[in-house]
Amino acid sequence: MHSHYDDDMEDQDIMPALNFEEHVDNGIFEQILEMDDDDKREFSKSLVTNFFDQAEETFVKIEEVLNNNKVDDAKRLETLSSLGHFLKGSSATLGFNKIRDSCQIIQQYGHKLNVDGSAEPNEQVCLDKIKGALETARNDKDELAYKMFNKIDGFFKPHDE
Amino acid sequence: MPPPEGDSASAQAGNNSSDFVRKLYKMLEDPTYNSVVRWSADGDSFVVLENEKFTKTILPKHFKHSNFASFVRQLNKYDFHKVRHNEESGEAPYGRDAWEFRHPEFRADRKDNLDNIRRKAPAPRKPAQADDAFGASQQIVVLSESLTATQHQIQALQEQYFELAQTNKVLVNEVISLQKMVRAQSQVSNELITHLSNIEDRRRNSRHSAHSSHSSHSGPTFHAGSLGQLPDGADEPAAELRRAREILNGVSPDSQADRELERLSVAYHQNGSPSDSATSSVMFTQGGPGPMHMLHDPLNDPRHMVYPVGQTTGIDPFHSDHINNIPYTRPLSNPNPMADSAQITPPPKDQGTSMWSHKRPRILLVEDDKTCARIGAKFLHVLECSVDIAKDGLEAVEKINNPENNESFDLIFMDIIMPNLDGVSATAMIRMVTARVPIIAMTSNIRQEDIQTYFQYGMNDVLAKPFTKDSMIRVLRKHLAYMLKDPLQGGLNSDDTGQTVGAPGPPGQNQQAYSNNQQAQANMMAAAAAMANSSMGSGAQVKFEQTPIPSPTTTSSWHSPGQMNQTSPNMDGGGYMNAGGGGPGGMVLTPGGTQRPPPQPYQMMNNQVNSQLAGGSAGFQGGGHMQASEGMGMGGGSEENRPEKRQRLYGPGANQGPFVQ
Repeated sequence: MHSHYDDDMEDQDIMPALNFEEHVDNGIFEQILEMDDDDKREFSKSLVTNFFDQAEETFVKIEEVLNNNKVDDAKRLETLSSLGHFLKGSSATLGFNKIRDSCQIIQQYGHKLNVDGSAEPNEQVCLDKIKGALETARNDKDELAYKMFNKIDGFFKPHDE
Repeated sequence: MPPPEGDSASAQAGNNSSDFVRKLYKMLEDPTYNSVVRWSADGDSFVVLENEKFTKTILPKHFKHSNFASFVRQLNKYDFHKVRHNEESGEAPYGRDAWEFRHPEFRADRKDNLDNIRRKAPAPRKPAQADDAFGASQQIVVLSESLTATQHQIQALQEQYFELAQTNKVLVNEVISLQKMVRAQSQVSNELITHLSNIEDRRRNSRHSAHSSHSSHSGPTFHAGSLGQLPDGADEPAAELRRAREILNGVSPDSQADRELERLSVAYHQNGSPSDSATSSVMFTQGGPGPMHMLHDPLNDPRHMVYPVGQTTGIDPFHSDHINNIPYTRPLSNPNPMADSAQITPPPKDQGTSMWSHKRPRILLVEDDKTCARIGAKFLHVLECSVDIAKDGLEAVEKINNPENNESFDLIFMDIIMPNLDGVSATAMIRMVTARVPIIAMTSNIRQEDIQTYFQYGMNDVLAKPFTKDSMIRVLRKHLAYMLKDPLQGGLNSDDTGQTVGAPGPPGQNQQAYSNNQQAQANMMAAAAAMANSSMGSGAQVKFEQTPIPSPTTTSSWHSPGQMNQTSPNMDGGGYMNAGGGGPGGMVLTPGGTQRPPPQPYQMMNNQVNSQLAGGSAGFQGGGHMQASEGMGMGGGSEENRPEKRQRLYGPGANQGPFVQ
């Protein structure tokens, strides 16, 4: 199916159809793919792999902070915000928009702000929102990782099959 | 003007004339340098034995630069002389490569004498040294002769100054009119984006109601099924629009510089509008001179005839503050970009040739995030730059301070939020060492006040995150124009440049493809505006911001002249308009360009557009705008805050189907 599609394209240089739906900003992600030296996609594949590792590490850290009741809430929120910011940068650079949006939510509530920028003084609400965003981000990450790497039609797999 | 000579030279131009000599003496007191630089055996001169080592390790420590030539010049200024040895007769006591310097008063055993070594007087003062043998009358003759000479000199200086002032006037006018054009252009772009995304919004809504089952749970089956489909053209422009919007946003003028420029321009206009400023800004100078006040005419202003102020008062308006705020050093060499852009054809997508002339730029990328750093570095590698990565501000400062690197970076990309040392602080520290290297902030925090902070601490520009290859190209072209192989015809990737900008880009323009292009379009727009608004005759007083927002219809008719003017096959012209027309797959692929299959819809767009509309004014909107695009705004009050719009962004908006769960 894939190759059939490609044959129909006039310009073979054009990237294969990307099908990550709203998970990925194709325009941005394609810029990364263009950096690959050949169709083995070594560069982009390792970037994405590293990103998922980095994301998982960050998620674990966020979870730890969320579960650590010994530290006071203000401090925890501060830490959470910077963790969110950190992952937001790389997810945005890869064009992984859904994950990026969750990171943004984490960052915002870490600053005790709603996503629209208005203040959210209730720290417990902020922590809850962050918890929810973490959940969303994890699901999105798993879903996207599946799209990228599953053995049947994962983006980084088909050529090997 | 004398060429700049490095930091220590300029720092010492002041009064403490023996500072240099003291440093020199202190340096020679250090016995650990003996193998590199030391006193001669007699202690009446000193010898640099190992030039290279001296330049790389000792000079930076003591004189804060690593430029041997500059050091020698400095020595000469203090009347040190190189001791010449006759090498042919084998008389080279310290080796052939050694440099020996001598000053009659500079001796190892006469530390107390250092004050007697002074900078040489800059100008010959011989006429003033009246010989005692002359009588008083002869002294008067000498004095009056020297007075005449001085007067001639002043006259010459004033003429020179007048020329410079004229040139500056032209430049300021030019910058002002360019700014207006850019502003007009960005307003036009905003209108277009607004218009297009409204259309798109409507269409998407209708699509989403049809595709209600299109949800975020999409297993492999769903995938395989949709893999062969052409990405839906209707979804395409959102990301492009968003990027266009971000770019418009990124072009945020420095309002302080604007005020200064405005002030200068008003002063100049009061002084009469020079005919030569009409070269490329016909639109804005045709209004003719305003009221004639002899404010700045140096030849007629009596202030300038009074010795000795003549020279300096003229320079005053161009205080370094202002000069630094006119960031583009390259004059517009193409006064008529409209005509040119109409003739330019897109270059073939042949990337075989380098865009750099002889030397490839060396870039320092300061970024704590590995993913971003790798991507940035890769982009830069593809653009044939050599890249050095620092993982935080501290490392960046260390790299800059390392004498081997000093001054050798051509440009620095600087993340803002980093551990250990943030980008702004790092920039401030780097600026203490080197004033010249362009430092580009890389950040998603592009609110107006943030940007102002960045500029205040010495950054030169902002690259919005997530950055793209195109936006990097744009920055490189802008700040490293002097390194481009052919700044006027830099063909490589200029189609990309056009794309980043989100405006029609005549490929093959120079590094200013962006601005020229904007100018070209703005010219068209300005012309349209002029027709629509006859009150605009009065020179630089046009206020585009006050133009009422045209209806979508007006907008598209505004667009058409620009579009016809641009031969660029950019998606902005074709793609957007087609998409706006509602044809599925309306995307026009750029011949030889880097057009990509349509990306996913970008829900933020609507939000941005709406807040733009609400804001009402054109161009960048500072905090309000950023808040929409980044959700980073702190002072939510200024922004319209409609929850139903916000939901689009992050909530499970009812009609957003597959977006955030």
